Amino acid sequence: MVDNQSIYLTFAVILFVIGAAGAICRRNAIVVFMCIEIMLAGVSIAFVTFSRANHSLDGIFMVLFVMAVAAAEAAVGLAIFLLMYRKQGSIDLDKFNLLKW
Amino acid sequence: MELVFLLICGGVAVIASLLVIFARSTLHSALWMVLSFFMVAIIYVLLHAQFLAMLQVIVYAGAIMMFIVYAIMMLNLRQEAKSKVATRISKVVGVGALIVLFLELTLIGVSHNMATIQGPVTDKLVATYGRVAVISNFLFSDYLLPFEVASILLTAGVVGAVVLAKREK
Repeated sequence: MVDNQSIYLTFAVILFVIGAAGAICRRNAIVVFMCIEIMLAGVSIAFVTFSRANHSLDGIFMVLFVMAVAAAEAAVGLAIFLLMYRKQGSIDLDKFNLLKW
Repeated sequence: MELVFLLICGGVAVIASLLVIFARSTLHSALWMVLSFFMVAIIYVLLHAQFLAMLQVIVYAGAIMMFIVYAIMMLNLRQEAKSKVATRISKVVGVGALIVLFLELTLIGVSHNMATIQGPVTDKLVATYGRVAVISNFLFSDYLLPFEVASILLTAGVVGAVVLAKREK
C-alpha cells in the first residue's frame, strides 16, 4: 500500500475519462490521437502505483512497452493522417468513411 | 509534502488535459499536452519511478510531441465544421456513459481496499543497487523477449511510416 494510493488512482481515472471524452467528442484526427495518449498516461499512472504498492517492477515494464508501442503508433498514425490529408484535403474524422458501408 | 505536490501536479495535469480537448486551435492543444505530460512525469517521480519519469519527458514530451507538432505544421487545418444534431446526441450519450464509467471506477476500483503482495523489489535492494541497475537487471533477463519484440515493432513502425508518407511518382 502506497501513501495516498487512492489519490493517485483517482487522478489516473480522471485522466482516462478525460481522454475518452475527448476521443468521443472531437472530430479532428490529431486531437483524437492526443486524447488517446492522455488515456494511456492515465493507465500508466495506475500501473506505476500498483507496481510500487506490490514492490514489483512488472508495472514499470508494462509502462515501458506502452511507451514503445505509443511511439510506433505515433509514427504510423501521423503518416496515415498525412496521406488522408493529401487525398481528401482535411483530417475530419467524419469524412473517413472509406471502410464504412 | 508529498500530498501537496501530488495535488498540485495532478490538478495541473487534469486542467491541461481538459484544455487539450477544449482548445480551439490544434497547436494549442499540442502545447497543453506537453504540460500535461510534464505533470505526469512529476507524478512518476512521486511514485519513486525516476527512470520512467526521464523516459516520459524524453519520449513523450520530446519525441512524440515533436512528431505531432510537425504533423500539425504540415497540414493546413481549418476550424472543425459545425456539428450536426446526430453527432450532438451521440456526444451527450457518450459523455453520460463516461460519467457512469468514472463513478464506477472511483467507487468500486479506487475505494476498494486491495490486497498487496511483497514482490522481489524491496527497498533494501533498491538502496543497494540503485533503481536503474535493478530495472536493467530485470529488463535484460526476465523481460528480454518483450524488449526485443519492442525493438522489432519500432523498426517496423519507422519503415511503415516512411512507406506510407512517400509521395507516389
